[in-house]
Amino acid sequence: MSAQDDLPKLLGDCVHCGFCLPTCPTYVLWGEEMDSPRGRIHLMQQHAEGAPLSGPMVEHFDKCLGCMACVTACPSGVQYDRLIEMTRAEVEQEHPRPLQERLVREAIFRLFPYRRRLRALRGPLRAYQKAGLDRLVRRTGVLERISPSLAAMERLAPPLGKAPRLPERVAARGKHRATVGMLTGCVQGEFFPGVNAATARVLALEGCDVVIPKGQGCCGALSLHAGREEEARAFARRTVETFESVDVIVVNSAGCGSAMKEYQALLADDPSWSARAEALSARTRDLAEFLVELGPRAERGPLPVTVAYHDACHLSHAQGIRAQPRALLAGIPELTVREVADPDICCGSAGTYNLLQPEAAAELGDRKAANVDATGAELLVAANPGCSMQIATALRRGGTGIAVAHTAQVLDASLRGLGREALVGRPE
Amino acid sequence: MEAELQALASRLGALLGSDQVITDPVRLRTYDCDGLTNHRATPGVVVLPDSAEQVAAIVRACADAGVPYVARGSGTGLSGGALPRADGVLIVTSRMRRILEIDVANQRAVVEPGVINLDVTRAARPHGYYFAPDPSSQQICSVGGNVAENSGGAHCLKYGFTAHHVLACEVVTPDGELVELSAGDPGYDLLGVFVGAEGTLGVTTKITVRLTRVPETVQTLLAAFASIEAGGTAVSAIIGAGVVPAAIEMMDALSIEAAEAAVRCGYPPGAGAVLIVELDGPEAEVAAQFAEVERLCRDAGAFEIRIAADDAERALIWTGRKSAFAAVGRISPAYLVQDGVIPRTALPQVLARIDALSAESGVRVANVFHAGDGNLHPLVLFDDAEPGAAERAEDVSGAILDLCIEHGGSITGEHGVGVDKARYMPRMFSEADLDTMQMVRCGFDPAGLCNPGKVFPTPRLCGEVPGVRKGPHPFAGKADIF
Amino acid sequence: MRPLDALAKVCGDVRPGESAEGVLGVEPSLVAAPGSVAEAAEVMRVAAELDLAVVPRGAETRLDWGTPPRRCDLLVDTHRLDALVEHASGDLVAKAQAGLPMDRLAEALADRGQRLALDVPLPGSTVGGTVATGAAGPLRTLFGTPRDLVIGLTVVRADGQIARSGGKVVKNVAGYDLGRLFCGSYGTLGLIVEVTFRLHPVPAARAWVTCSVGDPGEAHEAVQSVLHSPVAPSALEYLSPGTVAVLLEGVPEGVAARAGQLTTLLGDTAQVTDTAPDGWGVYPDGTTLIDVTAPPTALPHLLAATAQPEVAVSWNASGHGHVGLPSGMAPAEVAAVLGSLRDTLAAHKGRAVVQYAPEDVRGEVDFWGPVPALALMRRVKDQFDPDHRLSPGRFVGGI
Repeated sequence: MSAQDDLPKLLGDCVHCGFCLPTCPTYVLWGEEMDSPRGRIHLMQQHAEGAPLSGPMVEHFDKCLGCMACVTACPSGVQYDRLIEMTRAEVEQEHPRPLQERLVREAIFRLFPYRRRLRALRGPLRAYQKAGLDRLVRRTGVLERISPSLAAMERLAPPLGKAPRLPERVAARGKHRATVGMLTGCVQGEFFPGVNAATARVLALEGCDVVIPKGQGCCGALSLHAGREEEARAFARRTVETFESVDVIVVNSAGCGSAMKEYQALLADDPSWSARAEALSARTRDLAEFLVELGPRAERGPLPVTVAYHDACHLSHAQGIRAQPRALLAGIPELTVREVADPDICCGSAGTYNLLQPEAAAELGDRKAANVDATGAELLVAANPGCSMQIATALRRGGTGIAVAHTAQVLDASLRGLGREALVGRPE
Repeated sequence: MEAELQALASRLGALLGSDQVITDPVRLRTYDCDGLTNHRATPGVVVLPDSAEQVAAIVRACADAGVPYVARGSGTGLSGGALPRADGVLIVTSRMRRILEIDVANQRAVVEPGVINLDVTRAARPHGYYFAPDPSSQQICSVGGNVAENSGGAHCLKYGFTAHHVLACEVVTPDGELVELSAGDPGYDLLGVFVGAEGTLGVTTKITVRLTRVPETVQTLLAAFASIEAGGTAVSAIIGAGVVPAAIEMMDALSIEAAEAAVRCGYPPGAGAVLIVELDGPEAEVAAQFAEVERLCRDAGAFEIRIAADDAERALIWTGRKSAFAAVGRISPAYLVQDGVIPRTALPQVLARIDALSAESGVRVANVFHAGDGNLHPLVLFDDAEPGAAERAEDVSGAILDLCIEHGGSITGEHGVGVDKARYMPRMFSEADLDTMQMVRCGFDPAGLCNPGKVFPTPRLCGEVPGVRKGPHPFAGKADIF
Repeated sequence: MRPLDALAKVCGDVRPGESAEGVLGVEPSLVAAPGSVAEAAEVMRVAAELDLAVVPRGAETRLDWGTPPRRCDLLVDTHRLDALVEHASGDLVAKAQAGLPMDRLAEALADRGQRLALDVPLPGSTVGGTVATGAAGPLRTLFGTPRDLVIGLTVVRADGQIARSGGKVVKNVAGYDLGRLFCGSYGTLGLIVEVTFRLHPVPAARAWVTCSVGDPGEAHEAVQSVLHSPVAPSALEYLSPGTVAVLLEGVPEGVAARAGQLTTLLGDTAQVTDTAPDGWGVYPDGTTLIDVTAPPTALPHLLAATAQPEVAVSWNASGHGHVGLPSGMAPAEVAAVLGSLRDTLAAHKGRAVVQYAPEDVRGEVDFWGPVPALALMRRVKDQFDPDHRLSPGRFVGGI
């Protein structure tokens, strides 16, 4: 069955109960029906019944973060994830966008999925930050006037350190338990190289041979979630090829993991790829998911730190992974986990959302930052590079800095006995 | 848009911010129904006020223009109580969602109407309190909507309805005045009649609710029976023994099947009925009564009893029940949710009659109900692709309401009359009864602009001798918008 | 035809009024005692035709409450409407006629282990009178007042039409709840003829826990500590001078355990008894009775404002109480006490309403105090009773 035949049935699953409303970030912000999942499904229905894809309609589709909290909340099993992806693909094909918007979108999708281009940006970005130009630019608001999206991009860039190169293979420590492939990701790889290094070390310390194929590229998540289906399929095919030789692919970025688990749907209509895609989806694991399945073996060193764990939407809603990261953190001696209020509500990062809808993203970031701040934790732990950048930026804006780490980095610090200073700096 | 509505829209635009008035047709259409989707009307204008003063200004503008208006909270009602008027204004309270005060010492909270029911409990919980009315939609329904519908919930058997938990409402009356209706003030209990009037007497802008002490303990059991009759016997025995449970819920085989398909709740296989009984209160009370409930269930033939050992197990027991409505979508392409009430003792006869109705018509009916208070929620299943199926389902659904009336019950226990059941009101009430109720409406809203077309099948002409009608009705012609 | 004859044609018990039957001194011309709902409807219809002002009367326990009627052409006496129409014990529901005395209702219900969870502060009072005045006692802590327990109501309107609302099931949201509207309406909207109540099981065990409190602060502390505890009392009262009393109901082992918890909570002076303490469930002594409503934290302020030794106070933790003023108190002094009470309570959004007072006091005080939604109430009254013939002048704002 092709996607378009599916649409009436998928739309018909919605009984208009409204259970999705309180979990929808944009409904929480604006309290408007058309900026809720139920309202957007209504708009899709209007379109399916013949209403043209008008400006207002597209505006409300664009404002959806694709966080999938509504999918978790829905008692009727509405596949909103599929609905919004199908709708976005149609919007991309059918709906003419104004020039400036088109340029920004093109720029984003020509930059982020390509590691080499991101890497090329690192040098100038580091120089820019070192020279203190960032503070000047923010103070004058010059970028804000040129393009809010560019300004958002600038604000979100994390402070960059050195990016160590990872070898193609990291050998297991102790008795060998598994051989795993590792996806390094585009943004994770370039902006958070420490996370990948920590992931590889943790896997090795837990007895895994880690294979890090050199030829890997973008998994296609950003394109897929933005309705750029053809682009996404091309990325997907390349990723399938790259990782066909390993038993398990471990992914430390929530957005990438959820996209790879969707390959089977993405390539379903392509007979030469559908079986291969399905096999890859079945072998894809989030890092936390994999480590809990594997079971802990390496000795955990104490980490007397209070952490707030943030559920990345693409981990909790898209992959249903909530318990595993918490279990891993709870397994570290002397570490305290605090829950963040409204855990279901997205932080506003949402792939490219913070670049394309900077105002809404900033508001959501501020809410999330306030909830994180209220936990009194010293360290924020999240499993998605976008979330980390987003929340760190919001906290900076609010004047209350907090250390940020990926689950992998916390585990790494514990397994290597580095102590709390490795994560939260030296106590005053 | 008609000229008068257009003029009103621009006046509202001047009164409110530009992001508070919606006139774009595509956007307006997303507001065309509430939780009941078979009645639809696209509102003429939608407004999103964020203060009581704005609501009052909107109502005054409507009154001046003679344009009808409807208030809506989260749009989760199941009787079309918030169905908009194509020739009117929809006042959406979703931005009035501040919890203004949690006053623990006085066991009350003050909230705006758009505040979500469960958020009141979330705010009170750290102090050991909660907001007792718990309709199934509590995670999204608004307190303003609860006031309009006098919402109940699974636990209203012991704790009562919204009317019992609202101490005061600030109300914009249909003439645009802000008035406080308080249970403690001298004079008529206008608050008592306002709650449950389905938004036909005014728009509430601030609500003072009672907070209830979190019980010392909660005990929940699930009992499986071979048949609905055996389950019914257990319910009668429990009530007859003088136990007042916090909740008693029953599901029949078909609804168990649906819940199993949706959430894999793992109810005992082969059960013709399951009963969920929850007791709460002081530990010593609950312990003694719980043992008795367990014994009574066994005496009535329960073949399996599960007792929740902790919150997680309790949640698991409730999962099947709470998902039952939506879950029916998994075993049937379409369904109607009915809401009727019978005296609890009539349960066996009425269920047998529903079975017979189902057999005669070939329409499947799944039964989920609040057994403690005789509130039935028959789910009438049909395939909307099959010609005539919807009509047959509608007939069976209506026949079930007739059964409720015949047994001295009610056509609605908690979903309200709204637009959906107004036509059934004359089966339950005489013309004089309905006329008398509408005297209240005439006192509040003589022009009939506040949520017209709801609750009553025919509006009363205010200021006239009851029973005597002169000339064409002012709403003639407008009613067929529905 | 004379009014007496016209009424006699439709009702088996009609006679001229007697001077002793005056309602706060207003003597009725006629008294009719209908024996059925249909007869009551006929009486009301004839009264409408003849433009007679009608005042309903039950057992006269509260006929001296409120303000005197402007007119009283016809007293409708409900003593012949005294049937327990239905007691559906399996459904915990009973339907009674307005003239049935509350104690007879209680006896009948108790035969099957059930009760209407309303206290009867004035012995002999009827179902109709209790509903019409919204009367309740200590049990209001857990069970509320008539508005919370009436699930169905039959009234005869000013024009003689019979109208019903609600029904005989507890859970019911079909149509407006006229039951709540008529509770406490003092006979000004229609004649209440039948009432359906939700019932509760008679508890297997009960106990009172009482303690002494020395001052308003202590009283407040004791009440608050019980209120926020998990013992779930059926009633929690302060009774002057200086007692806090708690009623616990339930199964024997439960009541015993909770009584133990409470004695720990309330300290050295706490005592457990199986009989009610003095002053429980009755109005405080005095010839002027003031009904006060305010949130629970207003208690110490209420007590401070009524500190004179001759003033009696009872207070329910639901936020409702009574103040009794002695017969010797001069009208001006009563007015002063009332004024200071209103000032004190206004700070807590509370209010004070005079229920009854001696004749010389009545002229000196405003019975009702401020009535926020009075205009709306008048409009409702005008709909139900456009000619203002039902208990005219008995209620707020001269309604």
